[in-house]
Amino acid sequence: MRARLRPEFIFEMSMNEHTLKFFGEELNQLKAEVARMGGLAEAQVADAITAVSDRDVSLAESVVGRDRRLDLLQHDIERKSIRLIALRQPVAQDLRRTVGAMKMASILERTGDYAKNIAKRALVISESEPITPLTRAIERMGKLVAARLKDALDSYTSAELDQAMNVWQNDEEVDEHYNSLFRELLTYMISDPRMINSCAHMLFVAKNLERIGDYATNIAEIVHYEVTGEEIMGDRPKWSDAARDNAPESDLEA
Amino acid sequence: MTAIVMAAVAAVAIALLVILGKADAAAGLVTAAGLVALGLALTFRAQERTGATKEMQSDAVSKPPDPGDVQTYVSALELAPNPILVVSAEEADDLAGRRIAFANASARDLLRVAREGALLVAAMRNPNVLEAIDESLFAGMDRVVTYEVGGAQNRFWRVWTNPLPGTPARPRLALVIMQDETDLRLNERMRADFLANASHELRTPLASLTGFIETLRGHAKNDEVARDRFLAIMGRQAERMARLIEDLMSLSRIELNEHIRPSGVCDLTVAVADVADALGPQLAAKGVTFEFGLPAKGAAWVAADRDQLIQVVQNLFDNAVKYSPVGAVVTVDCEVGLTLDAAAGFRPDARRLSAPDGGRMSLQTPTWSADVRYAILRVADLGPGLARETLPRLTERFYRVEGQKSGERSGTGLGLAIVKHIVNRHRGGFLVESAPGQGAVFCVYFPMSSSPAGSPPSPKNDRNMLLTEPFARDEIKLS
Repeated sequence: MRARLRPEFIFEMSMNEHTLKFFGEELNQLKAEVARMGGLAEAQVADAITAVSDRDVSLAESVVGRDRRLDLLQHDIERKSIRLIALRQPVAQDLRRTVGAMKMASILERTGDYAKNIAKRALVISESEPITPLTRAIERMGKLVAARLKDALDSYTSAELDQAMNVWQNDEEVDEHYNSLFRELLTYMISDPRMINSCAHMLFVAKNLERIGDYATNIAEIVHYEVTGEEIMGDRPKWSDAARDNAPESDLEA
Repeated sequence: MTAIVMAAVAAVAIALLVILGKADAAAGLVTAAGLVALGLALTFRAQERTGATKEMQSDAVSKPPDPGDVQTYVSALELAPNPILVVSAEEADDLAGRRIAFANASARDLLRVAREGALLVAAMRNPNVLEAIDESLFAGMDRVVTYEVGGAQNRFWRVWTNPLPGTPARPRLALVIMQDETDLRLNERMRADFLANASHELRTPLASLTGFIETLRGHAKNDEVARDRFLAIMGRQAERMARLIEDLMSLSRIELNEHIRPSGVCDLTVAVADVADALGPQLAAKGVTFEFGLPAKGAAWVAADRDQLIQVVQNLFDNAVKYSPVGAVVTVDCEVGLTLDAAAGFRPDARRLSAPDGGRMSLQTPTWSADVRYAILRVADLGPGLARETLPRLTERFYRVEGQKSGERSGTGLGLAIVKHIVNRHRGGFLVESAPGQGAVFCVYFPMSSSPAGSPPSPKNDRNMLLTEPFARDEIKLS
C-alpha cells in the first residue's frame, strides 16, 4: 500500500507517524504468531489427553514429534520481540505487548513440553492393562484444563480483561480434581501393586495437567498486565488452606 | 437442487467480479460475499467436479447481474446456518496479513469476530485448520479437516477450505465453510457409554431378581408368607431398575442436546413453587420443613427449558429431603441479577468453610461472557454433610460417597450428574459447599432473560426486599 503513495507525500509524512504505523503492523504480526503458537500448544495438550484416554500410541508419537515446532516458534517470537525492542524502542502498552509476547512464547513452549511429557507417559501407560475409571478421571481433568487454556488464549487474542480475570479466579477446580485423583491413584496402588507402574505415570500426567492449568492463569496475568499495565495484586481466591494446594498429606487410611 | 441454486449464485458472482475488476476496489465486501457464493457452489459440486465450472463461468460473463440481486444473495449467505468465512492473505510468511474478509452471521456468532477485518488467528487457532486454509490460499488446494473445540460444551467441526479467484484488491482468497458434527460424534459416544453404564448398574438388581425367582420356584414354592415377602422385594428391585433406566435415558437425552442452548424462558420462582407443591406428601412422611426466601413472581426469569429446570429443582430438593434428619429444616433461597463473578463466588456460609474438613467446589462454571446476569438458587440442608475430597466427584455417574449406607439405596446415583448436564446446557453454573456434620448447600445459577411479556425483570437485587416479600416466607410454607 505504501508503494502507491506519491514520493513527495511520503516526504511530507512525519517520521513519527510513519514509524508508528509500521510498528503497529509488526506488533500485530507478533500477536498473530503468539496466537498461532497458542493454537498449536492447545492442540498438543488436547491430543496428549486423547492419547492417554484412548490409548492411542500413534497419536502420542505424533505429539512427541510435533513438539519441535513449538520450540522453533518460541525462538522465532523471541528473536522478533528482541529486534522490535532494539529497533523501535517501544513504550507503554506497546512495550507491554512486546514483552507479553515473549512471556507468552515461553509459557506456551513449556505447556508444549508438558503435553509432550504426557504423550510419552501415554506410551508407557498403553502397554499395561487399562484402568478405565482412572483414565476417565484423567480425561475429565484434561478436558477441564484444556478448556481453561482455551479461555486464557481467547482472552489473549481478544484482549478481554474480564474473561482473563475469570480464568485467573477459577483455578481451584483444577486443583480439586488433582487432589481427588491423587487420592484415587493411591487407593489403586495400595490395593494392587501390579498397578503401581502405570498409576505412577498417571500421577505425573495429572501433575502435568495441573501445571498446564497454572500456566493458563499465568496467561491471564499477562493479559491483565498487557491491558492495564498493572500486575494483579493479592492472592488468588482459595477456599482451602495452602497445605491442600499440594498433594494431600498422609491421611491415606481415611 | 441446492447445487443448482448455488451454481446460479456463483454465475452472478463471477459476472460481478468482472465488473468490479474494472471498477474501484471499494466494493470489496460485496465482492467477498459474491465469492462466498461461488465457493459454496464449488463445494457442493466438489464430488462431481468436471469442466462444468468453466462453462458456467463463460455463461455468466455474458449476463451481468443486477446489483439488487447480488444484495439478496449476500443476505442469503448471511442467513446460512453454517459458519462461512472468506479469508484474504498477503504474503505466505505474513501471519497478520491473513484476515477475515467476510464472516456470515453464523460465523460471527461462533467465532466472536466482526463481519470483516479481524485477524484470522483471532478467530481460529487450530493448527490443522490454519494449515488447510494456507494450502487453499497459497497452493490452490481443496481441503477437508475436522477439529474439536474443547470448553464446557465439546463441539466437533468439519471444515472445508477452497481457493477462490482473487480480486485486484485481494489477490489471494480462500473460502472456509464449517459444519457442526457434534451430534454425530456424541451419538456414537453416548451409545457406548449408555451400554457400559446400564449393563453394569442393572446387574445388581437383576441378580437379586433371578435369585428370588429361583427360590420361589424351588423350596419356597408353597410358603405363602415368604412368597409375599419375596414378591415385595422383587417389586422394589424392578422399580429400581425402571427408575435407573429412566434416569439413564434422561441423561442421554440431555447430553445429546447439551450443545444446543434452550430457547424458552421460565420463572425460577414459579418452578420452585411447582416442585415444592408436589413434594408435600414426601415432606409430611419425614417431618421435614422447607423455608423459602424467593423473589416475587416475575423477578427471576431465566433462559431455560421449563421441564429441565424443574428436573434440576426436583433433584436438588429430593436430595435435600433424603439426607435431612427427621424434623429438620431445608432452606431454599434465590438471588437475582448477579454477575458471573458474584454467582460463582457466592459464599453463603463461612461456617462450613472454616470447618476442618469442609470446602466449597464449583462443579460447573459457565464460559465467561459479558453482560450476562445470573439468578442463583440455593438449597441448604442440615444432613450429614460431605467431606472435601468427595466434592469434585459428586457429579460422576453412580458415584457413592464412602460410608453411605449401600443396602437399600434409594437413588440411582445419577441425580447430580443430571443436574450438572442440564446446568451446562443452560450455560449456567453449579456449586456445592459442605462440611461433615454441617450439612450441604447446593447452588445452581442460570443466565437471566427478559420476561416473555416484555415487562423488565426487577432491575436490582435487594436482599431485604426478597426477605420481606409476602410470597417469600408466608405463602409457601410446607410441612
